[in-house]
Amino acid sequence: MKTARVNVAVTGVGVVSACGNNLVQTLACFDEGRRNASKITLFPSEFICPVFEAGDFTGANNKDRMRTLNLALAAAGQALDDAGLKNNLDDLRLGVCLGTTVACQLNDVDFYAALRRGELVSMDSVDRYLKGNLAEAVARYFNLKGVCCTITNACSSGTDAIGTALSWLRNDYCDIALAGGADELNRIPLAGFSSLGVVSNDLCAPFDRDRRGLNLGEGAGILVMEKESLARKRGLKPNLFLGGYGLSADAYHLIAPHPEGLGLEQALVRALDEAGIKPKEVGFVNAHGTATLDNDKVEGKALVKFFGPEIKVLSTKGFTGHTLGAAGGLEAVFTVTGLKEGWLPQSIGFVNKDDEIPLTPLTRRTQINSGYAVSTSLAFGGNNSALVFCRRDT
Amino acid sequence: MNVLGAGIVFNRGRGISCLENALIERWVAPSDSVYAVKPEIINDQVVLKDSRRADKFSKMAILAAYDALEDSGIKVDKKSLGIIMATGFGPHATTYRFLDDILDYGDRNVSPTSFSHSVHNAAVSYIASVLNVNGPTITLAQFAFSFQQALILAKSWLKEGRCEYVLVGAVDELSKTMEYIFNRKLRVAEDGKIKPFRFLQNSEAVAGEGAVFFLVTNVDTGKRYCRFEKVYFNKDVCRDLPDIYILDNDGIIEDETAYRKICAEKKPLITSYTPIFGSMMTVSAFNCAAASLILKNQICYANPVLINPYKVNICANTKKMKIDSINCVRYNCSKVNAVVELKR
Repeated sequence: MKTARVNVAVTGVGVVSACGNNLVQTLACFDEGRRNASKITLFPSEFICPVFEAGDFTGANNKDRMRTLNLALAAAGQALDDAGLKNNLDDLRLGVCLGTTVACQLNDVDFYAALRRGELVSMDSVDRYLKGNLAEAVARYFNLKGVCCTITNACSSGTDAIGTALSWLRNDYCDIALAGGADELNRIPLAGFSSLGVVSNDLCAPFDRDRRGLNLGEGAGILVMEKESLARKRGLKPNLFLGGYGLSADAYHLIAPHPEGLGLEQALVRALDEAGIKPKEVGFVNAHGTATLDNDKVEGKALVKFFGPEIKVLSTKGFTGHTLGAAGGLEAVFTVTGLKEGWLPQSIGFVNKDDEIPLTPLTRRTQINSGYAVSTSLAFGGNNSALVFCRRDT
Repeated sequence: MNVLGAGIVFNRGRGISCLENALIERWVAPSDSVYAVKPEIINDQVVLKDSRRADKFSKMAILAAYDALEDSGIKVDKKSLGIIMATGFGPHATTYRFLDDILDYGDRNVSPTSFSHSVHNAAVSYIASVLNVNGPTITLAQFAFSFQQALILAKSWLKEGRCEYVLVGAVDELSKTMEYIFNRKLRVAEDGKIKPFRFLQNSEAVAGEGAVFFLVTNVDTGKRYCRFEKVYFNKDVCRDLPDIYILDNDGIIEDETAYRKICAEKKPLITSYTPIFGSMMTVSAFNCAAASLILKNQICYANPVLINPYKVNICANTKKMKIDSINCVRYNCSKVNAVVELKR
């Protein structure tokens, strides 16, 4: 038995990344084609790879909280402001669903090193972790009393958090949801991804023939999603919606995508089916596009197979780096903003077409006039997720 | 949601029959002061033949999920099955092995295998591979309410038609580091005995680990354990009186005084099986497995530990009785409650 369709509007966005501390700065960065990569400054490191660190965002220096939480709070605050939700939040059935990969791990190196040395270890980092479940901590900060969940689905966590919030809204577990993802640049995943040989010492080049891997980044991207009926009751005239969500498992390999992209295709089928649209109606795809050899080859092939060779594709990871659990949240914000603003940035980093990838991503700032857009995420564990956003001007 | 099958891995063994035996045997002192899952419990060279590199966290998850599907006797289409796994702390033992690499050999010389297995959703990836599942899969972590959130999502997926069946479960593991954190942050019971009915402000915990999965569906096959009826948060837990309350207090949330309310206002039958499983963020899932058995067998299993200073109406002896409804109640550290309602 399927539930009756509840239209879910996107009424606010918040974003923090290396592109900027808010949406205005982000759009300026996109427009100028500026890549704010740097050396690693957040922690001492043996690595010389470029990274995309967030700048001096609000709350960055609050050391009582995990940096990931600071990023999430900054983006969540912007999203709530953007949606006109400033007061009396505790009167609303407002849920929080956020994805992360770093904040869910108790992996403080100093704590563990001291423990190994047999010292009486300070429990500060454990306390910070225990108070820092991402969704719960954001809910607590804004005094939100609704349903609350942290999604830990690796690099698709942000996308899956938005998809989970869609399910909540359609099944009446809440009326409004803050949903997206956040992750800080952290020593542990940097070492881990480096051990897998997928980190580039150059600036990343998604879908490019000469791509050499990903750059890590950090940030938070959060949407305010609400039932259209409530948004209208609040006096808004929403024209941006989340129409569908699909996810699927490759059941193939822990760290490699299915070579034919079957899982991604299945996620896309499910997302478009839920949105009630055909592939040809989709104006553009904000791809996962990590700039790793495997991901871009598989994803590029699958997107062209599914949407056809004319589909407009970009990866925004050339601007933000791969922000892991935040990526799906950030890219959802960028996708919905593309629909709203009517233009997309170039897929920065791309120069040369790869003969093994049958698509050329956007090479310049591009005007668009489409009603539907898709954001995709592929994750460790063979998880594939897709969101369909739509613009409906009535 | 109908519960068609259940699988469990815990310190007393693997499988629903082991759970049944443990409920009958009641409390047994844990070895090494913690409720650890011994290696022989997860030594299955058939089911795990393609998961040899998997860590203990993933192996416990695979076996519990596999057993839940087997227990149901259902042949499920691989596209119509979803997987939702809840965890409190994820595969932290593997994370610490990865940190060992960093500390011993430097950031450039770490094991990629440890890293890929330290990601929270590695276990679900293994389950999907072993069962050849292409449906939706999610891992979530919400500390004390992780399993409750997983149930909400499972219910939503089934209602929306995202899948026809869901393997929904929970996994948490022990490590030396976690034991250290338990000892520093909590009052650990020296006798290895969780005492759920003392309702202390500074209750005692005994660390545990394990995995439990349920195969749930809205399809009515006529053969089921019970139904997961509702999950709700922060409402009056005494609003609808069930036949039995199962309390999920296990000492991991120190202040257990809030549970007194359930026992004070009315006189329902109260049980708690946390002394069998040990203290875990996801212990609610394990108590729900016990609740499923109670409803299926129409037997109220005696409380494993009978220390009862408040003279609560506890189930002191295992007995056959008519049982239509059970509410499993969990409080978190903010004294917010979550109730899972199970019906016959």
